[in-house]
Amino acid sequence: MSHGRRTFLKAAAASVALPYLVPASALGKDGNTAPSNRIVMAGIGIGNMGRGDQGAFLGRGDVQYVAASDVKKGARDDALTRVNGKYGNTDCKVYNDFREIMVRDDIDAVHCATPDHWHAIVVIEACRNGKDIYCQKPETKTLREGKLMIDAARRYGRVVSGGSQRVLGDYRKTVDPCWNGSKGIIKSINVNVGPLPKDCNKKGEPVPDGFDWDRWLGPAPWAPYHPHRCSGSYNINGTSWRSFRDYSGGGMTDWGAHHFGGATFAIDVRELEPEEVIFHHENGKKFATCRYPNGKLLHHNHPGMGNLHVVGTNEKGPSKPVPGYAGGGNIYGDFIDCVKTRKRPFRDIEYAVHTTTVCHLFLIAYELERSLTWDTVKQQFVNDDDANRLVDVARREPWVI
Amino acid sequence: MASKEIARTALAAGAVAIVAGKAVAKLDSAALDKALEPLKTYDWGADRETLNPIDQAINATHGDAAARKMLEKGLVDALAGGLSRSAQDYVCRKLRVVGTTRSVKALAALLPAEKTSHIARYALGRIPDEKATAALRDALPKVSNKLKPGMIGSLGVRRDTKSIKAISKLLGDSDIQVARAAAHSLGLIGTSAAAKELSAFAKKTPAGMKMPVADARLICAEQLLADGEKSEAIAIYNGLKGDDQPKHVKVAAMKGLLTAASKT
Repeated sequence: MSHGRRTFLKAAAASVALPYLVPASALGKDGNTAPSNRIVMAGIGIGNMGRGDQGAFLGRGDVQYVAASDVKKGARDDALTRVNGKYGNTDCKVYNDFREIMVRDDIDAVHCATPDHWHAIVVIEACRNGKDIYCQKPETKTLREGKLMIDAARRYGRVVSGGSQRVLGDYRKTVDPCWNGSKGIIKSINVNVGPLPKDCNKKGEPVPDGFDWDRWLGPAPWAPYHPHRCSGSYNINGTSWRSFRDYSGGGMTDWGAHHFGGATFAIDVRELEPEEVIFHHENGKKFATCRYPNGKLLHHNHPGMGNLHVVGTNEKGPSKPVPGYAGGGNIYGDFIDCVKTRKRPFRDIEYAVHTTTVCHLFLIAYELERSLTWDTVKQQFVNDDDANRLVDVARREPWVI
Repeated sequence: MASKEIARTALAAGAVAIVAGKAVAKLDSAALDKALEPLKTYDWGADRETLNPIDQAINATHGDAAARKMLEKGLVDALAGGLSRSAQDYVCRKLRVVGTTRSVKALAALLPAEKTSHIARYALGRIPDEKATAALRDALPKVSNKLKPGMIGSLGVRRDTKSIKAISKLLGDSDIQVARAAAHSLGLIGTSAAAKELSAFAKKTPAGMKMPVADARLICAEQLLADGEKSEAIAIYNGLKGDDQPKHVKVAAMKGLLTAASKT
C-alpha cells in the first residue's frame, strides 16, 4: 500500500469530529483488519450489478471502500449514503468522471460494473494507473479489446479479474464429471443462449435530471436518450442496454459470458481461443460451432442438444483437481486474496477474454452468415475482409484505446 | 448459409436477383432502389426492420464484386442525398463493412461536423484503404479540438506513420484530451520515429501528461520489440525504470527489459 494512501486515511480519520461515533469495525477493533492495512477500493458504475458488487466488497473486513463513480446522480447519492453509513463517517467521495478515481494514489483497487461498452476503457485506465480491477462480465465489447486488456494487465502486473461468479458456482454438475475423468476424452460441449443483439432506433425523450447522458454513451455512437436504451434491467428483450449492439452483445455475451465461461472451464480450454467458427443453416435453424486447436468443439444452439451437454468417450480417464477460488470464499474474496498475494485470480482476465472471444466469434459468424477462420496470433480473420472490419469499432471522441 | 437459403432471403428482401441457382449472381438496380427507399424517411423511432433488406444484401453480395459495387454506390448516393441523422448513422454502419475507396469522399465530407464526425470515422476507421487513412489525416488539422482526439485515435489504430509529425505537435496541446490521444496514438503507431517523438516530449512532460506518456512509451516499446527493434525498445525501458516513475511503471519497464533480453 502506498504512503499516499496511509496519509489519506490518517487525514480522513482526523477529519472525524466525533470519534466515538465511528464503529469499532472501522477502526479494526473487532478483529477486522485495521484501516491502514485494508485494500482501499472504489467502484465505477454502481447501478444494478455495481450496487451488488459494492455491497460484497463493502461487507469485507479487509476492504476500506472510499469512493464511487456513476453518471447518474441518484446512484452516486445512494452509494455515498451506503458507504458512509457503513463506516459511520463522511469520507466517501463520489464522482461523475471515473478518471478522478483512477488518479487517486490512495486507491489500490476498483470494481467496474458499467455497461459493457465501457469495460475495456475502464480496465485499461485502471491498469495504467497501477490499480487492480474486478470487472463485471462480459468483459469485452469487441475482439480487439480483449488483447488490449490482457496486455495492459500483464504490462503493469495488475490483478484483473473477470466478473462471472457462475463459472465456478453454477456449473459444477457439468465441470466435475469432465475433470474427474468420468466423461473420458471430451469431444464437445453445447451452449444454448441468446438472443443476438439488435440495433436500437428508439425516439428520443428528455434526459432525466442528474443523468450525464453524453458520458453514459461514452465511446458508443451518439443516440438520443430513451429509458430502454440505457436501462440496467437484466432483460434482453429490447428494454435494456443489454439488448442493443452498441452497448452489449445481447444474450450471446450477457448470459453467454456465464455459460460459455462454464463450458470452456468444463472442457478445459480456458487457455485457448478457437481457430475456427463453423456456421450452420440446416432445416431452417441457424447454429454454429467453434473448433479449438486441440480439436475440441464448442457448439452454440446445436439442435437436439441441451445446455452444457457434453460429449465424451465415457471411458474412465485420469482425474485432475478442479481449480477454485483463492482464499476459499467467493469470487470477491478470490479477487481480494489475489490483490494481496499478487496471484492470478480464478477468472483472470485472460480466461475471461477467451470466453468473450467465443461470444464475439459466434456473433460475427451469425452476422455474416458464414464460417470463419480466426488467427489467434494475429488476432484477425483469415481471408475475410468483411469479418476483419468487425473486429473493432471506432470509438466516439475523446475515447481512444 | 446454404445458397438456397441466401436466395430465398435475398429474394424475399427484394434486393438481390438470383441467376441460375447461384447464391448471388446479379444485383438488380430496381430491387436495390426498392431496398434503399425506406432510408429516405427513416428517422429515430422508425421500424428498424424496414432496413433489413439492405442488411441481407450485404451478406448476399459477399464475394460478388460487381454486386458489392452497386450496393456501395447505392449507399453512398443515399448518404449524399440528405438523410436524417439516424439514417446517416445506419448507412455509415453498413459502409463500415462494404465501403471501399469509392465511399471515402462522401464519408470524409462528414468528418468536420460534430454530429456526424464519429459515425463517419466508424466507417472510415475500418475501411482498409490508404485513401481512408488519408481522409482522416487530412481532416485532423481542420476539425475542432472536441473532435481531434477521435481523429488522432483512428490514425493511431491504423498505425499511420505519415501522421507522426502532425500528431507529435499535439502532445503539448493545452486540451488534455487532445494531448492524451496524441500520446496514446504515437504509442500505437509504435515505430522508431514515434518513439523518438515520445522520448523527446517525455523530457518536458507536464504533470498531467506524465502517466499517459509513460504508458504510450511502454506500448511503443512493445510494438518495437514485436517488430524486431530490440535496441530501441530497450532504450525506452531503460528510460522508464528510474525512481522518477511510479512503481507500476518501473515494474513494467523491468518486465520489458526481461522480455527483451529473452529475444534473440
